[in-house]
Amino acid sequence: MPAVALALGFGMIFPIYMMIISSMRSETTVFAFQLLPVEFRFSNFAEAWSDSGLPRSIANSLFVSVTVTVVAMVFHAMSGYALARLRFPGRRFVFAWMLSTMMVPFSIILLPLYLITKELGMANSYWGLIVPSIFNAYGIFLFRQFYRDFPKELEEAAYMEGLSLAGTFFRIAFPLSVPIIVPLTIGFFLANWNSYLWPLIITQDEKLWVVQQELAHLAGGGYFTPWNIVLAAAVIAAIPTFVLFFIAQRYLVEGIKMSGIK
Amino acid sequence: MTPKRISARTRNEWVTAYGFLLPNLIGLFVFVFVPIVYALYVSLHDWNALNPKAFSGLDNYRKLLHDDQWWSSIRITLTFSVIYVPLLFVLSLLSALLMNALRGRTKGVARTLFLLPFAVTSVTSAVIGMFMLDPRNGVINRLLGLIGIGPQPFLGSTSQAMLSIIGVILWINIGYNMIIFLSAIKEIPRDYYEAAGMDGATGWKSFRFITLPLLRETSTFILIVTTIGSFQALDQILVMTKGGPANAMEVSVLYIFKQGFELLNMGYAASLAFVLFLIIFGLSLVQLKLFSNRN
Amino acid sequence: MGKTWKGIGIAAVSLALMLQMACGNSNDGGNGGKNESASAQASGSENGGKKVKLKFWDFHTEKEEEFFKGLVDEYNKSQDDVEIEYSTYNQTDYTSTKLPTGFASGDGPDIYMISPGDFMKFAKSGLMADLTPYFPEGAKEDFLPASLDAVTVDGKIMALPYELELLGLYYNEVMLKNAGVDVPKTWDELYEAAKKLTTNKVAGLVIPPDKGAYLNFVWYPFLWQQGGNVLNADGTQSTFHSPETAKALDYWGRFFKEGLSPTKLQNGPTEIDNLGSKGAAMQIAGTWAITRAEEVFGDVPINVAPLPIPEGGQAATDAGGWKFAVNGKSAHAEEAAKFVMWAFAEDPARALKWCTEVKFAYSPRKSVVEQGKAIYNQGMRKVFTEQIYDSAIPEPRYPSEVLDVVGDAIQNVMFGKYDGAKAAEEADAKINEALKTANK
Repeated sequence: MPAVALALGFGMIFPIYMMIISSMRSETTVFAFQLLPVEFRFSNFAEAWSDSGLPRSIANSLFVSVTVTVVAMVFHAMSGYALARLRFPGRRFVFAWMLSTMMVPFSIILLPLYLITKELGMANSYWGLIVPSIFNAYGIFLFRQFYRDFPKELEEAAYMEGLSLAGTFFRIAFPLSVPIIVPLTIGFFLANWNSYLWPLIITQDEKLWVVQQELAHLAGGGYFTPWNIVLAAAVIAAIPTFVLFFIAQRYLVEGIKMSGIK
Repeated sequence: MTPKRISARTRNEWVTAYGFLLPNLIGLFVFVFVPIVYALYVSLHDWNALNPKAFSGLDNYRKLLHDDQWWSSIRITLTFSVIYVPLLFVLSLLSALLMNALRGRTKGVARTLFLLPFAVTSVTSAVIGMFMLDPRNGVINRLLGLIGIGPQPFLGSTSQAMLSIIGVILWINIGYNMIIFLSAIKEIPRDYYEAAGMDGATGWKSFRFITLPLLRETSTFILIVTTIGSFQALDQILVMTKGGPANAMEVSVLYIFKQGFELLNMGYAASLAFVLFLIIFGLSLVQLKLFSNRN
Repeated sequence: MGKTWKGIGIAAVSLALMLQMACGNSNDGGNGGKNESASAQASGSENGGKKVKLKFWDFHTEKEEEFFKGLVDEYNKSQDDVEIEYSTYNQTDYTSTKLPTGFASGDGPDIYMISPGDFMKFAKSGLMADLTPYFPEGAKEDFLPASLDAVTVDGKIMALPYELELLGLYYNEVMLKNAGVDVPKTWDELYEAAKKLTTNKVAGLVIPPDKGAYLNFVWYPFLWQQGGNVLNADGTQSTFHSPETAKALDYWGRFFKEGLSPTKLQNGPTEIDNLGSKGAAMQIAGTWAITRAEEVFGDVPINVAPLPIPEGGQAATDAGGWKFAVNGKSAHAEEAAKFVMWAFAEDPARALKWCTEVKFAYSPRKSVVEQGKAIYNQGMRKVFTEQIYDSAIPEPRYPSEVLDVVGDAIQNVMFGKYDGAKAAEEADAKINEALKTANK
């Protein structure tokens, strides 16, 4: 059994392995039927980096992903907290309404969303890349689950000491939410780093391109780029996600498990 | 506490609650709710994005009833889901069972190997797919050649393009769903199996009568999420074939794009988007109904 | 209460700050394409900002971008009334989103480049000004009549053609020789040659496999050579349901179905790199390929011949190329038109530089071709000049709906969904319907 599992596991990473070893080959040997790493042209990475929009697109992706993640964490935690811990009229309705937005697949509303974003004057700008990506009932839902099990005593004590409700949240509850913030942050960052379709539609200016657009462009749109360089670019673009994967695998797994518990 | 203080606190609580909810309420309203309503509005107009909108009543909806390409795109979308969802489900579950049977270090290593493709983004997976599935020189065809199978056209063939793309999407998503299954399997108390073991149940039987029924909630969850997700599997399609060859992978969303952004029939594209929304919303409602009944 | 709002206030302010930052960056980005020396000159000008500012958008890169930048600089310096700001974008974005959204929001350019595929849509939306009155004296007569016909609507010349890119059959001389194949002159010969030349490593003939304007562009000559056409002469009715169409579709499809032409290319279908990498023996490509074939693949024995013709057919090739247009809704259409004329209808030197130094293409102006005679007779160019040029037909300006239907018909045959006759028949009705929609 262990042998089967490991064999299958290596099968799973075979494509990644092929990407990496082929990214270090020359233009003529990139398709050679050679499964061993025999060539190490590290200059391919330098070439992919300097001959493309990769540096700028990676900076854009970082800026957009980090901004969306940070803002979303604060907003979603606030809403999740309100839904879990505060009593107010319309709570059930608000919660149900927010949940119902989860049933609208993003791709279906792409075209009208584009039209709305354009009407708001956000098309082809960082605004358009960032703002519509923030709102998502999924994060709210998971924060709500988390705060429902949050010990009441802490809040009561804080309130007795004269902290307002908002103060209680920002000073007590939010800082103690690390167990949910960490996996959600990883999830949001990855999702935004991977984002391709929305940036493709909302940006026309090449200077606003995110990393996935640049990569798709190198692979299929431009035709000028040889495969070894495309793969080198793909490797570079994958570095942040792989690094995140290896340093935070535990939290990633934690996050995935959380998403499975309804 | 005087009654007055309580009411002040209550009011305070309301204000805080809505203050906390406000950003998301506005955001979800503007970026999820309004687009749907706006699509409905635009769909009642003839609009090429260059000229002012001209009201045209239900013309666009009449047109879509007779639009072969539209219905063909719906068919492709559904075919995709019908193949992809069960495959993902079964493969993830099998992987989870396999992981569950492992112990110690092997388990950690195997789990990491299975989950690693999840860290590959959709566009990167498409790039790798195109590279490995190249009909002339790709490594997959070379490997097939070793076992005596001739070169396959893969993405260059109307009959193989869908399976090729599904393969790539499966590859990066199995690990994720495997983890969900795995954590659900772990929550099944051991004594259930021990009790069953005393009755002489075999591996298959314990799976069939203990594991599977207890995974029902998780299974339903994965089915719903994957089904909705399967309508969104656009990144790979766009990068790998742009909807081709011969429109074989032109799923509904791509057709909407074509009508909207290439042919500039914004009104018509909006009517298609609205109908697709209704279809998918209806499907989700049905699934949700089933889901909550079981709860 | 106070504290409640303080928290929200902090969140709101920090959000606003973050977005402010984002917005600032985006403005920076937007300026990148502008001509900086032009703006510098404006601030120092005597009229003190009285100049009319015109926006000029296109999609050129590298050498070609430099050329247009230089052109704009030169024009801005040559007079004091108008200042042109040049921005260039990625080609796909330019056509699919930049132009439409720009015009739709009223921020469109005054001067832009238009492809035949978008021509009718823009002309009908009033986005192209009638250029007829602005032609300098005698200039109209200098243009090839067919090239002007292709941009004339209701007797008005709506755009200025400035390049003609012709298709030819490029081939690897040594590969043909080794296989004992003569340069194909007929359809049958081309097919037989492709069959003999196809091996595990080499594609017999590279023609575009993916749907898109370029696929149609390369396919049209096969229809025209037999006297067929997509639409009737005045563009009101489909003539697609014909034996000629069926034959052209079947012939084209055969190359893909029998594996003589790859359905997936490692290099773009327009790139001569397919021959340059020795991964193909023959390729249909345009005049643009010559420069790269000479400069990058000088060691590969590449040559070019006219497109083969069917038995009893007539030589025909496609002449593509972008056109210069002026926004009909611009407040300064006249000034914009003057620049366009200055650039490509007056001094032939500018047109000649574009067609011979910056890239290789034919000018639609006889005087320019005459002046560049020496260059037009160098190497492979001579084949185009002497054997191909005369058979050129300008790329038709069909509405994009029609392009789409024709593209589907070709793909349906290539991938075995229909045979040529069935595809032609099915597309015929759709074309008529598309014409109705487009002409509404």
